[in-house]
Amino acid sequence: MKASQIGMKAIAAALAVGLTGIAAAVAEMAIGSAAVGATAENKDVFGLVLLLTVIPETIVIFGLVVALLLIF
Amino acid sequence: MLKPEQMSRLLIVASKDQMAPVISELYRHHLFHIEDFVEAGAKDYEGFKIGTPLSGASEASSDLVKIRAIQNAFSINSEDFEAKQRHNQSALQVKIERELPAIEHEVEELTGKRSKLDAQVKEYEQKIAEISPFIGIPGDLDLYRGYSNFVIFAGYVTKEVSISVPHEMSFTKGKGKNFLVVIAPSERRNEVEGVLQEAGYQAVTIPDESGIPQDRIIFYNEQVTRIKKEIEEITHKLDAIKEKHAGFLVACEEILKVQVEKTEAPLRFATTNETFVAEGWVPSGSVETIRQGLVKATGGKIFVTELAISEHDIVPVEYNNPSFAKPSQLLMDTYSRPKYTELDPTIMISVVFPIFFGLILGDVGYGILLLVLCLGLQKFVKGEEGRQLLVVLRNASLSSIFFGVLYSEFLGFPCPWVYILPSRHLNIGGEGGHGPNIPGLMMVAIWIGIIHITLGRVLGMVNHARQDHGDHRIKAVLANAGWILVMWGILVLIWSMVQMPYMPDLTTLPPVVMNLNAAAVVGALMLVVGALFIARDSGLELVELPTIISHTLSYSRLVAVGLSSVAIAMVVNYIAIGMLIEPQLENITITGVIFILLGVVVFIGGHLMNMVLGILGGSLHSVRLHYVEFFTKFYKGGGKKYSPLGLTRRFTEDL
Repeated sequence: MKASQIGMKAIAAALAVGLTGIAAAVAEMAIGSAAVGATAENKDVFGLVLLLTVIPETIVIFGLVVALLLIF
Repeated sequence: MLKPEQMSRLLIVASKDQMAPVISELYRHHLFHIEDFVEAGAKDYEGFKIGTPLSGASEASSDLVKIRAIQNAFSINSEDFEAKQRHNQSALQVKIERELPAIEHEVEELTGKRSKLDAQVKEYEQKIAEISPFIGIPGDLDLYRGYSNFVIFAGYVTKEVSISVPHEMSFTKGKGKNFLVVIAPSERRNEVEGVLQEAGYQAVTIPDESGIPQDRIIFYNEQVTRIKKEIEEITHKLDAIKEKHAGFLVACEEILKVQVEKTEAPLRFATTNETFVAEGWVPSGSVETIRQGLVKATGGKIFVTELAISEHDIVPVEYNNPSFAKPSQLLMDTYSRPKYTELDPTIMISVVFPIFFGLILGDVGYGILLLVLCLGLQKFVKGEEGRQLLVVLRNASLSSIFFGVLYSEFLGFPCPWVYILPSRHLNIGGEGGHGPNIPGLMMVAIWIGIIHITLGRVLGMVNHARQDHGDHRIKAVLANAGWILVMWGILVLIWSMVQMPYMPDLTTLPPVVMNLNAAAVVGALMLVVGALFIARDSGLELVELPTIISHTLSYSRLVAVGLSSVAIAMVVNYIAIGMLIEPQLENITITGVIFILLGVVVFIGGHLMNMVLGILGGSLHSVRLHYVEFFTKFYKGGGKKYSPLGLTRRFTEDL
């Protein structure tokens, strides 16, 4: 494989992880602040909202999977 | 196991004079979940009425409020309190009447005094804060007051000022803001004000004091120290009372709570002038014990019967799990308690959760650390939920050690044995080696997903078969079968076209039609039939078909989250050992020692952070796979919690 091809793959992998990371962060931002608000109102929902907060992490996980498949 | 505890509906009828013994008996058994009686509020309603509390209810309530107030003052939490001895109830009752008022009086007096002193300290501290700006200016504080022809400005300005009016000024330079006092003739007040305004003047109140500022501050500081000492004395006294009476107080609270609950139970019964009717739920196995107990307690003057359970009854749900699965009920309650007619998946979550956790955080080192942490915390964590969480995490850590052995990982380092699961050793730090087997890992995760989701759908079939009726029942069961067919159809199609590790290879079969081989045809057929089954139940559901792929791929998080924690561990190792420690070990110098120490700090800090992330990630993602990918296939939840009348006594005993 040419060096340039390897480089392109690396860039693609970096974009896959980086962009999905940003997307997950943006999504978690809104959920996170709402979650803190809800917890302040009622402490019992802590477990549930912690879970809701990690739901958008799927986005970055797919990105990571794509990146891993690209590289290896 | 997969079902909640079987319940029976019990109806108890007796005359009102038997109310107290009946309640006592039910309370003792701690099994009767009262179905609250709701009065039909129609006009001219002449039927059952809600009962009135037994005698002594209001006294017990007000005593309970008193006790809780004292407990609050002492910050005693009965849940966290370890019982040293059990108090005898009747002896305690006498003690409540005799000693409680005295204790209450003493505590009230002391806390009242303490809050008064607290307020005084605040007041003096405020005064000190008021005086302190004037400290740099010589002169008595009296001199700032009582002029008729002069006006005094005192406050902060941002820059130096020059005033054209004849005046006297003291200027103290400070950080960011400077303190100044200006005395000027009253008639030229406006001019001075204008100049000060430009310099960002912020006025401060001139303290109502007399004497040299320094002396006043010293005086007030002395006062504050004196009062603080007094407060400390009071706190000591309160601590002594707390030490002496804490056990008594929690025992009192328990007794009074029991009394209040007992005396107020009639509020949940239906009554007529002479009789009362109590309806409720008990575990089917205990019906006879309760019946016999009630008959004995009332001397046979009671009617107890079991009612048939109708479809619309909301039956309270109590878990019925083997002891190893009990802590996982915490994870179920976080989502929602199962309905009475539903399968209870607690036992599955109790087995699968640790496996997922281990797959994600499969590292012998982290596993041992987490195990030690859990065992260590067991002593300090009180309360049911905290304990359950610890047991769940302990099981997860054991699984983490087990999978760490299979992965051959210890804090990111390879162990001396060969890995059994596909390798996760990334090529960080340029040590070479095999590198990770990403496709292999991915396929393992996908297989787990396929099996988990199929299991979920099968459970969905069982649930619909048990809960639904008539035409809808068959359709719903077939729809779930349809989902399984579509998923496996897609799989067979993929297998017939692409060769993948750990998956059957069907690409070699001879083509049948349109260049597709037999497997592809079978797969396509399964897909179509499955989709038809789904559409028969609800056409809209077809929109959800892509979730088959996204939910299955979602299980790749088992690999991805795990790999990211492996990567962090390896990077920490590389920075700490490869970059900081190892190069210095060749010839040790003084700076070298500093680098080595830095390396140790990076090593410990990095691995601690990674462990925290790993525990959070490992548990949250495992739970999420259950809640989102698994439960959505079959589980609704929303059952009512079974909370029987009664209390597990911890501090008292009935004699």
